Amino acid sequence: MVQPVLSPLVERPAHVPEALVYDLDYYADPGVLQDAHGRALQVAKEAPGVFWTPRQGGHWVLRSHNAVFEASRDTERFSNAPISFEQLQAIIESLPEGAPKPLIPAPITFDPPHHAVYRNPLQKAFSPKAMNVLKDNIRALAVELIEKVKPQGGCAFVKDISEPMPVTIFLQMFGLPVDRQREYRDLVEEHFAQTDKDPQLIQARLRKVADVMRDAILERKDNPQNDLISLLWDSEFNGQKATLHDIENYAVMLFTAGLDTVVNGMALGAVHLAKNPQLQAEMRAHPEKTSDLTEEMLRRYTFTLPPRFVAEDCEFQGVQMKKGEMALLFLPGADLDAAEYPNPEVFDANREGKPHIAFGAGPHRCLGSHLARIELNILYEEMMARLPEFRLDPDKPLTYHGGHVWGPNEVYLKWDV
Amino acid sequence: MKIRIDKDACVGNARCAAISEVLFQLDDEGYIAVSEIDVPEGMEELARRGARSCPEKIIEIIEE
Ligand code: HEM
Ligand code: SF4
Repeated sequence: MVQPVLSPLVERPAHVPEALVYDLDYYADPGVLQDAHGRALQVAKEAPGVFWTPRQGGHWVLRSHNAVFEASRDTERFSNAPISFEQLQAIIESLPEGAPKPLIPAPITFDPPHHAVYRNPLQKAFSPKAMNVLKDNIRALAVELIEKVKPQGGCAFVKDISEPMPVTIFLQMFGLPVDRQREYRDLVEEHFAQTDKDPQLIQARLRKVADVMRDAILERKDNPQNDLISLLWDSEFNGQKATLHDIENYAVMLFTAGLDTVVNGMALGAVHLAKNPQLQAEMRAHPEKTSDLTEEMLRRYTFTLPPRFVAEDCEFQGVQMKKGEMALLFLPGADLDAAEYPNPEVFDANREGKPHIAFGAGPHRCLGSHLARIELNILYEEMMARLPEFRLDPDKPLTYHGGHVWGPNEVYLKWDV
Repeated sequence: MKIRIDKDACVGNARCAAISEVLFQLDDEGYIAVSEIDVPEGMEELARRGARSCPEKIIEIIEE
């Protein structure tokens, strides 16, 4: 992985008070690259609840639980799209006939009321009930991956387990050929190794993802199966039948939201377990506590940073913001906010009545949260049941990546055989 | 005891149902299906825990 370069400092705009400036480069902050959640904890402790960073072109960061919660549910002031729905439609309509349409990850790029049109067709497919049906399959996969590395006395956890697991599940659910897994995994890696934000380069990468799926998508149109692609072909949007473009928009969304997230969530969990043999012993003795463990992992190591765009000049929690400015939802800090969680740095699986917002809040609440929870629970259960006490390989120090999804680059585990 | 839920604000976390599927019934899409629940005797603690578990903070307990 290429070491990201700290972005240059930009000048503070006149409407930003000096007291609200705090230096955080969410892609390349040296503290993040060294220890992502160590840095998150520091930001949670010392930065203003709403602050402005002069990095990455200069932008707002909402870090208090209260600010993140309020903004996530205020879709009028905080939009998920850098440009309005109407502007976007105008651009698409102005393209010449047959020109490739820009890929717009759906439903995440749309605000209410358009958001529901694109979210509804997927809702049932990702409901808790629908996800429960996949449990046995997911468990079989977890067991297979763990048993494969077990005799080796160690593994590269990301490459061997936390990447193949969600990728395989995604391919099966979506209805893509599992035997082309390698190709998809390379694409995932390539996609997330990039830190640039040039819209044209992003489009080129998303286009590559969509192109790999194109054959399968077209094939399902005439030959429906029991998978998501077929379900989507059968959906309607504002009374119109789904088009190839609609399905490509979903494909790139689920690809980018469903893979990298779970990969990093699992890797962060593995690091914490590896550093805490006592917790491992407790979990081995009490597998029934696994879902509490999963929830506290999600809180203590919340790892996604969704962007918002200020929709109108406004005042938010006493701060003047201007239309078009980016406001990053710093979820890792929100879930480490001492005002919400006493002693936030303490890992305590018995916290009760203080739900985290690792899956976001408001209408964009993670559609895949039920699936992700099942994947995480099953993985932890099977790791505890099958592996002896494991630890980090002391010869291979951890390094982290920043961006919209934080996590370790690789986690080398060791155990005695 | 009653439970009142701001149903329109539900975003389908299903955390309430993870505490008690009996009290907090979901629709097929995983969103809360009801806006008022009479809590049967003996289930008061589950009701309170369910309310606290909602990440959207939209479940209210009305003690009688
Ligand atoms: C532990 C793993 C995961 C975490 C922490 C996570 C986190 C999030 C967060 C914070 C959001 C809200 C983004 C925003 O407010 O702009 C989100 C949205 C979303 N997630 Fe996840 N996610 C995870 C796994 C998944 C999986 C497995 C899938 C699907 C296969 C998925 C699909 C989606 C989709 C489609 C959205 C957009 C929903 C909308 O805009 O209505 N996620 N996720
Ligand atoms: S926990 Fe809250 S948001 Fe989630 S389903 Fe229950 S009521 Fe809805």
